[in-house]
Amino acid sequence: MLNTDLRIKIVEMVKRSGEGHIPSSFSIVDILDFLYGNILKVDSENPKWDQRDHFILSKGHGCGAFYAVLHKYNFITDKDIIDYSKRDGILGGHPDMRFVPGAEASTGSLGHGFPTAVGTALGLRIKNKNNKVYALVGDGECHEGTIWESAQVARNLNLGNLVAIIDWNGSASQLMPIDDLPAKWEAFGWKVSVIDGHSKNDMELVFKNISLNINGTPQVIIAKTIKGKGVSFIEGHGKWHHRIPNEIEFKNILDELSQ
Amino acid sequence: MKKLRQEFADLMLEIGAVDNDLVVLVGDISHGILQPFAQKYPDRYYNVGICEPTIVNMSAGLSKVGLTPVVHTIAPFIIERSYEQIKLDFGYQNLPLNLISVGGAYDYSQLGCSHHCYTDVSLISHIENSCVMMPGTAKEFKILFNQSYKKNCINYFKLTEYPHSYDIDEKHVTLGKGVKVCDGSDFTIFTVGSMLQNVLEVKEFFTKKNISIEIIYFHTLKPFDHEIVLESAKKTKNILTVEELSAHDGLHNLVLKSLAGKLDLNVNQLAINGFVHGYGSYKEIQDKAGLSVDKIIKKIEIALELKNEQ
Repeated sequence: MLNTDLRIKIVEMVKRSGEGHIPSSFSIVDILDFLYGNILKVDSENPKWDQRDHFILSKGHGCGAFYAVLHKYNFITDKDIIDYSKRDGILGGHPDMRFVPGAEASTGSLGHGFPTAVGTALGLRIKNKNNKVYALVGDGECHEGTIWESAQVARNLNLGNLVAIIDWNGSASQLMPIDDLPAKWEAFGWKVSVIDGHSKNDMELVFKNISLNINGTPQVIIAKTIKGKGVSFIEGHGKWHHRIPNEIEFKNILDELSQ
Repeated sequence: MKKLRQEFADLMLEIGAVDNDLVVLVGDISHGILQPFAQKYPDRYYNVGICEPTIVNMSAGLSKVGLTPVVHTIAPFIIERSYEQIKLDFGYQNLPLNLISVGGAYDYSQLGCSHHCYTDVSLISHIENSCVMMPGTAKEFKILFNQSYKKNCINYFKLTEYPHSYDIDEKHVTLGKGVKVCDGSDFTIFTVGSMLQNVLEVKEFFTKKNISIEIIYFHTLKPFDHEIVLESAKKTKNILTVEELSAHDGLHNLVLKSLAGKLDLNVNQLAINGFVHGYGSYKEIQDKAGLSVDKIIKKIEIALELKNEQ
């Protein structure tokens, strides 16, 4: 599974505006496309639909992928994409929930979206509603203390309507090499699954068989991903994290994605 | 005299009975005194843990689904430690929240500086959709909470352990309004919250010396009653601000703002007043904030015109 069209859209947005995190977006774009296409109960005609599932992109800098997917599923328009990161646009380098249809939280500072998801799951349970809550968290973001505070809180409150998805692309281990995320989440009492975050088969097996209840053990899906997946010279860690491609690089990226 | 913390517990029980959206979250502070609420409404009471930033942050989720969160613990942990959560999860996203602290300034005087908190009011005031209240009695707190807890803003109630003894008529306790405690002609003291008690004693001292002190008291610092400051300062021409808050901000600055441009001063300010939403180049965002070259020139031109008119 490699969503080349979505990846091209992301690169075009970044190139046009001079802003964006291409590799972080490439590592999550397949997951987002799968969620919006197969799992999330959402309505692009009515983004605030009372019965919707809530999706929170906690690693807000991966928003290039989020915008490309929101566009594919008709939450935002061609013009919104063209105006990305411009003065009168609604899309910026981190999502702003006050302007972006389908964005449940304004993220950017790491460690905020996931606690918000925990509170949303608790609030829905207090209101006796069956909506589900999904939060996509970066592995580097798991350095933040609030992630683990919230993991403890969610488990102790038995928030069985909550799913965390970790983008395990190896960013975290650049700084802290002891990085056994499945063991950490298991130690916090969560149900843990590990998948290949670029494999449609893996995602179908896990996401479609999840059983979510208003009371129960929260679940985490740890998705092994490749930062920059899809373009050989972007994959991995280093200068491409926040780099804007020049004309030659831009052409080379498009050439690889078009093959 | 009723303690403000007891009033908080009583008020949650009273409001909780009629407002099913009220949810109380604490960080293991006041857990005992809140038991009547906790036992009556177990689905709406959470002694979450010792994790204040997360308690504040997750309350944004409650707020998003239409509930009315009330978050409570002691001042340094709810405000200073959790400041980015308040700023981003509520300020940036424009979500409502009620924060109730105890133990501000020197209330925990025997516990050392880790538990002293006097920058909280300044910090919260920076966030544009915030209201800041420092009630000096249980009665003031109850009235102010009822007036404001459902407003679409970040309400911060700083509860003192040392209430003052001055009983303000209920009709004079209004969000954002100052209170003239006594008339005077020689000197004005502006004060806030529990400090009124000391100020009342100071007045007694000077009365015996035939010096007439006027006291202007505030239970709310944001929104602030600038008119009452101006009126009194014009009369006495001698003013003092007394507050258990940081000297680098707070009531003193608010009073200066009240007087700027009103007396024989031409005081102007350009600064960042809040979030600048949206995107664009550095210069474009700077212009939106009112700090571009054009905006500075315009400010000076207006100031000079006003001065010439005087």
